[in-house]
Amino acid sequence: MRSGLRSKATATILIGFSLVLGSVPLLNAQTIKIGVITSLTGSQAAFGEAHKNGYSIALDQINAKGGVLGKKVELDWYDDQSKPDQAVQGVSKLVDQDHVAMLLGAYSSENTKAIIGPVTTHQIPLLIPTATADNVMDSKSPWVFRICAGANAYAKEWIAFLKKNGDPKTMVIVYEKTNFGQANMQAMKEAATAAGISVLATEEYEAKAPDYKAVLRRVKDKNPDVIYFCSYLLDATTLMRQSMEVDLNPKYYTAAGTGFSAAEFPTAKGAGRNAEFTLSVSQWLPEAPWPGSKEFDAEYFKRYNSHPQYHAMQAYQSLMTAVEAINKAKSLDAAKIRDAIKNLNLKTSAFGPIKFDANGQNQHPVIITQVQGGQYKVVYPLDIAQAKPIIPAPKWTQRK
Amino acid sequence: MPRFLTDFLQAGMDGLLTGALYALIGMGLALIFGVMRIVNFAHGAFLMVGMYVSWILFDKLQLNPYIGFLASGLFLFAFGWGVYKLLIQPIRDRSDFMQILMTTGIALILVDSIQLKFGADYHQTIIDLTNRPPFGFGPFTLNRAALMSFGIAGVFIVGLQQFVVRSRTGQALRAIAQNREVAPLMGINVTLIQGFSFALGIAMAGLAGGLLLPALYLFPSVGEDYTLKAFVIVVLGGMGSIEGAAIGGLVLGVTESLTSAYLGQQWALAVDFVLFLLVLSLKPSGIFGRQRA
Repeated sequence: MRSGLRSKATATILIGFSLVLGSVPLLNAQTIKIGVITSLTGSQAAFGEAHKNGYSIALDQINAKGGVLGKKVELDWYDDQSKPDQAVQGVSKLVDQDHVAMLLGAYSSENTKAIIGPVTTHQIPLLIPTATADNVMDSKSPWVFRICAGANAYAKEWIAFLKKNGDPKTMVIVYEKTNFGQANMQAMKEAATAAGISVLATEEYEAKAPDYKAVLRRVKDKNPDVIYFCSYLLDATTLMRQSMEVDLNPKYYTAAGTGFSAAEFPTAKGAGRNAEFTLSVSQWLPEAPWPGSKEFDAEYFKRYNSHPQYHAMQAYQSLMTAVEAINKAKSLDAAKIRDAIKNLNLKTSAFGPIKFDANGQNQHPVIITQVQGGQYKVVYPLDIAQAKPIIPAPKWTQRK
Repeated sequence: MPRFLTDFLQAGMDGLLTGALYALIGMGLALIFGVMRIVNFAHGAFLMVGMYVSWILFDKLQLNPYIGFLASGLFLFAFGWGVYKLLIQPIRDRSDFMQILMTTGIALILVDSIQLKFGADYHQTIIDLTNRPPFGFGPFTLNRAALMSFGIAGVFIVGLQQFVVRSRTGQALRAIAQNREVAPLMGINVTLIQGFSFALGIAMAGLAGGLLLPALYLFPSVGEDYTLKAFVIVVLGGMGSIEGAAIGGLVLGVTESLTSAYLGQQWALAVDFVLFLLVLSLKPSGIFGRQRA
């Protein structure tokens, strides 16, 4: 009796196992899985959410048109909790266990830099949507492609803007101390020095300890024409509030995008009125002159009741580009997808033309915006400008 | 006034404002150590729970954190007592090693439970007071929210000190700190008083957490640095002396602020620990001399 029960149990377990194991390739056959690593929680969750929203819109549009290679596309999310070690684990999980066709991500430069090595050893194509630190492309890995413009492109655009708008002479750079901040500081320091703008100081800060007043007081002592912030969202809002507190009045408040161009930044949930007159680089706006931009904005607003910033668009276009490449590759073979991305030449998309250079970098134009009346307005380049830049920024004591 | 002097005084005053909250945190840890000889490695985690209590009240009921911090304190008093009864009392006579493992374990469980329930997101508590222009006098400016926290913390620091020195419970508490074996012979209920002082120490961390909420970002592991800082404060003030801890907190706040002003913010925590090592190696009884509460 006992042995009968046991063999019955063993049989059940074996059948159970074979069902579980058997079902994996079956699922794979019906959908094409694309892995997404982003920061759904943690200090960068605001950007992770923008990513998620952008990816979701792209996914629905792709599947509404029948998917790719005759199959539906499925996104396999991995939340890196805004931590680089988690992002690295995400690569193994998505590739080794879930067998995704390719990867998109991560959000931050820090986390993206961390996954370049694992991506290369796993030989899986990676499309980077938002990481601006240029060292994510340093490895020259043939598996890595980046859709956004990087820190050097930001710095170049800033110098062009500053030369045409008052030609300031001095600058201080204030940056958060991870890869994003450090890379953008370095790029700006080199570009400014080469352009004859003297960089009086570079001030590093720890983003999670929100008392930057001592840093800002030192900046005030230097009295620069320009202050350049490289900051995420929470630190950006706190920096502007504390700039008001210490009465720091440079002629130009400028920033390397990110926190200073997040949707929340000029609202009451962010820096509110303290955000006014800050200038920031951006990679895309709903008003951008590319077909699909306005439609994306409308769809985003319909779903999430807010207007998207460039982070959402970069996620959207990354997935669109990935699917386009899989379509061209006509295969789920990693090397074939990689070669298809390499040879891709989209004359136009909602994020502008897309073509990767020999190092996997997409050449993307950078624009400059200013917060005016609680809204981001394009102020540069002139052919798409919506408003004139207000320079110098009024002193805090003269603001209402 | 010359510029270098105003800069120095400004940094010093900013440091005192932060230091008052450090004092509150340090006094809680000193109280627990003094009465129980338990090194509470979960102190920062309890502080974090205090922040979440106040934040939930703010987020769901729009309750101002300057009222909500009282709820943090009360909640943590009850919570602390429960933790004492369930987890600390059974091991209070065991080795130091056991106690370290236990409190470290409590800290891990608290941080991970909060992360499970509320996620790893960062939250910012923006209240009207933090967005107002600062309070200015002469060449100096002080953040209004920090000033408010300083005032409230001051009341609790003096209150706790007076309570320990003057009240009967305070006397019992000090009696246990002086001699654990003799105290029960004098008719003191050691278990009750220890539970009470553990809860009170945790409540201090909770109050400080509530008061820190408007000044910090909130996330599950926010307390980790504060556990370490609390140790530095307690060692500065002489292990277990609550007056020493109060002064140690102020010293630490000012040290951090001056470090930020003259060396850069990224050095603040490093200098904390240099101070810690210096005191431990040169004057282990603490800067302020006395050995015990």
